[in-house]
Amino acid sequence: MPIFDQGYQHWSGELTGHGWRWLAITRHGVRIGMKNRLLRIALLIAWLPAVVLAFFLCVWGLLEQKSDLVQPLVPFLMSMIGPEIVNDPKAYRVEVWTLAYDYFLLTELRFSMLVILLVGPGLISRDLRFNALPLYFSRPLRRIDYFLGKLGVVVVFLGLVLVVPSVIAYVLGLLFSLDLTILRDTFSLLLACVGYGAVVSVSAGLLILALSSLSRNSRYVGLFWLAVWFVSSMVGTVLAAVNEERRMHHQYMRAVEAEQQAARAAQPPQPVQPAKVAGGPKQRAPAAQVDHRRIWADIQREQREAAKTDWRPLFSYTTNVSRVGRHWLGADASWEKLAETVPAEERDRYLMDNMGPQYPWYWSAIVLAVLVGLSVCVLNFRVKSLDRLK
Amino acid sequence: MKPVVEFHEVSKWYGNVIGINKLSIRIPAGVTGLLGPNGAGKSTLLQLATGQLYPSQGRVRVLGREVWNHPGLNRFIGLCPEQDAFYEWMTGWDFVYTCARLGGLNRSAARDAAARTLDAVGMTPNMNRAIRGYSKGMRQRTKLAQALVHDPEVLFLDEPFTGTDPVARRELMDIIRRLGGEGKSVLVSSHVLHEVHTLTPNIILLNRGRLIAEGHVRQIRDLIDKHPHHIVLVCDDYRKLAGHLLTWDDVEGVRVQARDKAIVVETHAPDAFYGRLPELAAAGKFDVKEVYSDDDNLEAVFKYLVSK
Amino acid sequence: MLFHLEGVTKTYGPITALDNLSVSVPTGAVGLLGPNGSGKTTMIRTLLGLIPVDKGSGAVLGLDFHTRQLDIRRMVGFAPEDECLFPGVAGVEFAAYAGELVGMRTKDAMQRAHEVLDYVGLGEARYRRVETYSTGMKQRLKLASAVVHDPQLLILDEPTNGMDPAGREEVLELARDLAHNKGMSLIFSSHLLPDVEAVCDHVVVLGAGRLLAEGKIRDLKQFHPGCFEVRLKTGPAAFARRLNDLGCTTESREGDLLLVRVPDGGSQQVIWQAAAAQREQIRFLRPQRSTLEEVFLKAVERP
Repeated sequence: MPIFDQGYQHWSGELTGHGWRWLAITRHGVRIGMKNRLLRIALLIAWLPAVVLAFFLCVWGLLEQKSDLVQPLVPFLMSMIGPEIVNDPKAYRVEVWTLAYDYFLLTELRFSMLVILLVGPGLISRDLRFNALPLYFSRPLRRIDYFLGKLGVVVVFLGLVLVVPSVIAYVLGLLFSLDLTILRDTFSLLLACVGYGAVVSVSAGLLILALSSLSRNSRYVGLFWLAVWFVSSMVGTVLAAVNEERRMHHQYMRAVEAEQQAARAAQPPQPVQPAKVAGGPKQRAPAAQVDHRRIWADIQREQREAAKTDWRPLFSYTTNVSRVGRHWLGADASWEKLAETVPAEERDRYLMDNMGPQYPWYWSAIVLAVLVGLSVCVLNFRVKSLDRLK
Repeated sequence: MKPVVEFHEVSKWYGNVIGINKLSIRIPAGVTGLLGPNGAGKSTLLQLATGQLYPSQGRVRVLGREVWNHPGLNRFIGLCPEQDAFYEWMTGWDFVYTCARLGGLNRSAARDAAARTLDAVGMTPNMNRAIRGYSKGMRQRTKLAQALVHDPEVLFLDEPFTGTDPVARRELMDIIRRLGGEGKSVLVSSHVLHEVHTLTPNIILLNRGRLIAEGHVRQIRDLIDKHPHHIVLVCDDYRKLAGHLLTWDDVEGVRVQARDKAIVVETHAPDAFYGRLPELAAAGKFDVKEVYSDDDNLEAVFKYLVSK
Repeated sequence: MLFHLEGVTKTYGPITALDNLSVSVPTGAVGLLGPNGSGKTTMIRTLLGLIPVDKGSGAVLGLDFHTRQLDIRRMVGFAPEDECLFPGVAGVEFAAYAGELVGMRTKDAMQRAHEVLDYVGLGEARYRRVETYSTGMKQRLKLASAVVHDPQLLILDEPTNGMDPAGREEVLELARDLAHNKGMSLIFSSHLLPDVEAVCDHVVVLGAGRLLAEGKIRDLKQFHPGCFEVRLKTGPAAFARRLNDLGCTTESREGDLLLVRVPDGGSQQVIWQAAAAQREQIRFLRPQRSTLEEVFLKAVERP
């Protein structure tokens, strides 16, 4: 026919199977997310710590090769880390890599929360506000596809922030040290990173989806997320700090009491002699100094013990996540090994300063699991297939 | 008829965008329809008439007085707006009662008026429920109730029938027609032409902020020269009838619709045509079964005038 | 058979939305009418398999809506009543996304989106974001998104809501074309009866969750033999008197309409003769037929 029908044409193409339906939603969500300029800037800035990590791993690799390129940096490193470690890089390789990754992941956790703040609140609340749910559910789409698709958006962005930089930094560090034994030693680190990324994505993703489904206004959801992030973190930190101070104070007062009693019991009461007055205070002064240092060391040790059962940091969401991550990375073991290079009296203080909360990691895992469960319940309730809509 | 609402060379622009362009009109008592495509200036006209906007040029008067900055005049004006904004926690009765009190009625008068108006719009069974739970049709009826409750002289209704089902629409139309019959002035703005058509033959047609036509639909139709009238005749012997009609002077063309056994006559002088038709039909040679014009109605007038 | 329901009951707590509803509808263009709260929306949702019913069974396009819900939705397009367009995307992206959600591949979806947007008449506007669209354009985009996967059944819920007369004409034209020329079945739910009459052949009337009337529009609109509707140039009073003298019964209706019943065996010749004698102009003469509105009101009034 020379003239073709310009009207409506029928279409008989193939439809993809059900398994990939969520991908369409994820693709769409990512595209909409990338239109947000703030998000693009945040992603760019989130890659800076990755650059720093890669740089550090490369320097460490060159250090192991005893290359001349890094000689100018050696004094700087020695003042930061300690001469023992810098002089024997291979021995401490696993620990240093672990702790480098630990710091990196901690920083990137903050960036992840920021990225979720920028991309997360609108995920479901926009669909509620603009009444797009009939659009979704009048198509052959199950609720699980919808949730997976939306979760996928969070997973993609968090992957860009957490997992991809870790892997690239790892590869670069490997290349710069030209030593394949690193692979054997530190491969578990890479797995731990990926696992960490998965934990954060699933837990934080489900949480933000649940919050997003609670309100039609994405601004309120954003505020809620800020509350989860900052307020919970503040509450945890404040409670833990207050508790620590109180404990320290108690212990100090008790120890001083005990010392004074012991001193009074040990020394018989002396008559006041004018000839000895001059030497008296001097005699007592050194004894008091020794007391304080011992008391201090005792206190540190007790703090370390008590920290093992301190549940107060559980209030902070970010602390929970990072605790699980640290456990998987094995950061605590690394710190303990590094602590051996520090003089004994300062060891406890050193560890207390550098290690995070010490309670068992599975407490955090339980808290996260409970949050995941709650999120799933909320999502299920809020997004019923139009039975109660309007 | 004394004009109730009077616009004298009124223009209104928002920045650069023109809303109304040199509009002069006098709306009498009775029901008048306000029509026009999107962006024609209907909402602007209603807002100017109720004193919500100040004209950039010209004067707006309602009941003889300028309406801007004259809240006392609101006692005699009722407005049923298009937007759907209520205090959701109030019940329907609360809302209409409060509006009555705001309209200047004292407590007992307001109570009676609220009950009476809610009964008139058919909301009595639902008036003690919160507005949050109302359907679209119920909200529309409550809106109409609050416009009527203080018994105004002039009513402005903006899309009053959206969301109402045909049963409710019938009842509301009866109310509006009755008000028009009582001498009140009702201006109904609507997109749904056949609803306006049923309510009233008097219309005001706007396009791009200007007044295009005003008056009785049929008179307007007669004035549209460019488009001849199309009159349909149904007859078994339609071709012979067509031949006969072509001998008449005022008939300009005849189209055949074989499927319906009908012919469509085009003429610029419908009056003359209709005048000669009964004789022809009564003579008995042609059995004219039906005569009608699908051209003589509001849809046709709108289409001819608006889509150039 | 387009769809059939048997004994379907659905309650929301104390409110019964559908009450033992049984209806069977052939393919084609079907209008769905009913007062507010009659269960129209619930019925549509039941057909799409979106809500579980308490009792009863039924099938859409031959597929049971209890078990084959996803298959049903693959063959059905739904254009809901309210605004459902989320901002931030261009028109064509929106339509392509709608297709991808059904399972079309990305390339197919994009090609098809352009095709349907041509059909509904969204030209260059398709590259603009949806929040800049006028109401008419939004409705057309909704319609396009509903047909992008070439469904066998298209469900339109109040498609001409808020549109100006020109826009309404276009949407009705599209609906009519799809239903009559392109072989797509249509369920048209609306309160505006002339719209339904313009597009549909068959109609289903619901009330309080039950079926009140169902059938072809042509059949439901009864024919009253010997009754005619007449409109004159001037007022009908004098003419009515003359007709009464000639043995007809007359009744006055709104809009200057006169209902005339001629004596048995007579025809409209009586009316023409009376007009010729009195020099009246008859501007409208048609045999009386109930309008759809009358059919509807009669069906609803029956308790």
